[in-house]
Amino acid sequence: MAISAHPHPHNPSGRVLRPAIQESALVRRLLIGVSVVFLVTFLFLPLAAIFAEAIKGGSKAWIIGLADPAAWSAIKLTLAVALIAVPLNLVFGLAASWAIGKFDFIGRNLLLTLIDLPFAVSPVISGLVYVLLYGAHGWFGPWLQSENIQIIFAVPGIVLATIFVTFPFVAREVIPLMQEQGTEEEEAAITLGAHGWQTFWRVTLPNVKWALLYGVILCNARAMGEFGAVSVVSGHIRGKTNTMPLHIEILYNEYNFAAAFAVASVLALLALVTLAAKAAVERYSLSAPATAPAEPILIVSNLTEEPAR
Amino acid sequence: MSIEVTGISKSFGSFRALNNVTLTVPSGELVALLGPSGSGKTTLLRIIAGLEQADAGSGAILFHDEDVARRDVRDRHVGFVFQHYALFRHMTVFQNVAFGLEVAPRKSRKSVADIRDRVRELLKLVQLEGYADRYPSQLSGGQRQRIALARALAVEPKVLLLDEPFGALDAKVRKELRAWLRRLHDEIHVTSVFVTHDQDEALEVSDQVVVMNEGHIEQIGTPEDIFHHPATEFVMRFLGDVNQFHGRVEAGHVHLGDVALPGLLAPEGAIDSATIFVRPHDIELDTRRNGHPVVEATVRRVYSAGPISRVELVMQTGQELAVTVPHDRVESLHLNTGSAVFVKLRRARVFA
Repeated sequence: MAISAHPHPHNPSGRVLRPAIQESALVRRLLIGVSVVFLVTFLFLPLAAIFAEAIKGGSKAWIIGLADPAAWSAIKLTLAVALIAVPLNLVFGLAASWAIGKFDFIGRNLLLTLIDLPFAVSPVISGLVYVLLYGAHGWFGPWLQSENIQIIFAVPGIVLATIFVTFPFVAREVIPLMQEQGTEEEEAAITLGAHGWQTFWRVTLPNVKWALLYGVILCNARAMGEFGAVSVVSGHIRGKTNTMPLHIEILYNEYNFAAAFAVASVLALLALVTLAAKAAVERYSLSAPATAPAEPILIVSNLTEEPAR
Repeated sequence: MSIEVTGISKSFGSFRALNNVTLTVPSGELVALLGPSGSGKTTLLRIIAGLEQADAGSGAILFHDEDVARRDVRDRHVGFVFQHYALFRHMTVFQNVAFGLEVAPRKSRKSVADIRDRVRELLKLVQLEGYADRYPSQLSGGQRQRIALARALAVEPKVLLLDEPFGALDAKVRKELRAWLRRLHDEIHVTSVFVTHDQDEALEVSDQVVVMNEGHIEQIGTPEDIFHHPATEFVMRFLGDVNQFHGRVEAGHVHLGDVALPGLLAPEGAIDSATIFVRPHDIELDTRRNGHPVVEATVRRVYSAGPISRVELVMQTGQELAVTVPHDRVESLHLNTGSAVFVKLRRARVFA
């Protein structure tokens, strides 16, 4: 052990000894180089292009693009939809994770599969399903019309489609953690006299809070950026039912590039803020005791077992 | 507070975890449920706690003559200690121990100052006074289990239930902690039941041992009783090493080779053969016949590192036998591989 762990500095063969999993410098540089080229070409350049295009015409053009009431309305609608869809999916995701992670019941696997459905089907189909259900010629269309409720080509349809598409994000983050943590802490809590609600607030929720927050951030990112499903149900009514992604497309199709990139830059900025928030959550969750590994070796090794007196 | 379990059964699907189990734990005693994994001991403990429900229509669970079978876990006032501690990982040691006091109904809840005093007192009891602000991940296994115990004791349980409390600890800490648990119990005298698969632990710590196997109780008794007077073949085999070989039944007596084993009556129903059980330390070796009925054997191997030597023999009947004798006996008899010896079974048993 000692020999392989501390190679002798003057090893007679003259070869550079290195840990078994370490690749040679050439291979390492090649791998890193490929990754960097790939990232720059496919991710960084397009992102930079958005901001470059947005400010190409100067700040005045940028402001004009955003000051357009239709653009402003699209920004507000996007935020409003996220504000409705994300909390709803937070509640749903938490409820589903709790059920799946902590209990065994008939239909558990079916529920687990259903949660993944929005990932599996194309967003366009997600939108079409709602048209089929609530559109003028859909199943509930006549009844909705008689009650004077409009869902398709209106804000409710956009919200519904967004909720559908962002359904799995929270649940998918929280379920594995809850399954891994098991139910012992909850059992300990109830033997100590805690009621269901107290157990949930004081034990279950704090244990998954970072995963939950992570799921919410991903859910929010998708809610703001969703195009396909929303496009089908929105009706593209300028200033009324256009979210930012839809509005950008319309502007672009009208060759109004300055305005299109101005709005696009705002959407990209929102995405970057979301990414920053995600990184911050990851960092904090690692340093927080709630999700710290069970045996942080560095700390434990400083403690010797106290002899029981 | 005594615990009485009468006729409890529990099935998981087609697996019968407990089969009509009846058991009494006298008030203030420390009782061990001992058995191999799958014997139903943990299930029984969890049913007593209320974390698991016994099968419908099976018997009652009485705490001090009061049926609690239909009562909710949180109203049973049990302290439960889990094998893997189940400490609340996002709370400090202080918050963990205070948990049970803080979730109490408003009208019976202690004041903040009283809770703080009580937690201090408990941390002192488990000898971890300086650790109030640590998180569970910053404690060693033994320390975590002591905190789990303090947390369970905080609510002044009528009954303390421990599920393999030392199972996740290494051997040295386990030994220290079980001696400590025994002393703690002598101090606080709360009726306690603990589950273990380690016979040394059960024999050393408890007042009574309940040996379980395949969902039923094999024997209940004091550690001495269980060890020296095993009631069944299973108890004999489970508690310590044992030699096991076939003997002949002749005229109601058990024979090994040509030798009738004195005082060993054949069990009822045994027609021509019976299984003989002998503990390695219940065997005497000599290099000369000394008048007793003896069996001839050859030494195959001597393991003499340690205070007690272990000798492996092959008897003239072809059966193998392990014997433990003091090391100086091995030396005085000059035992080596190939030595011829005479074997006297001091205490042999047969079971029906």
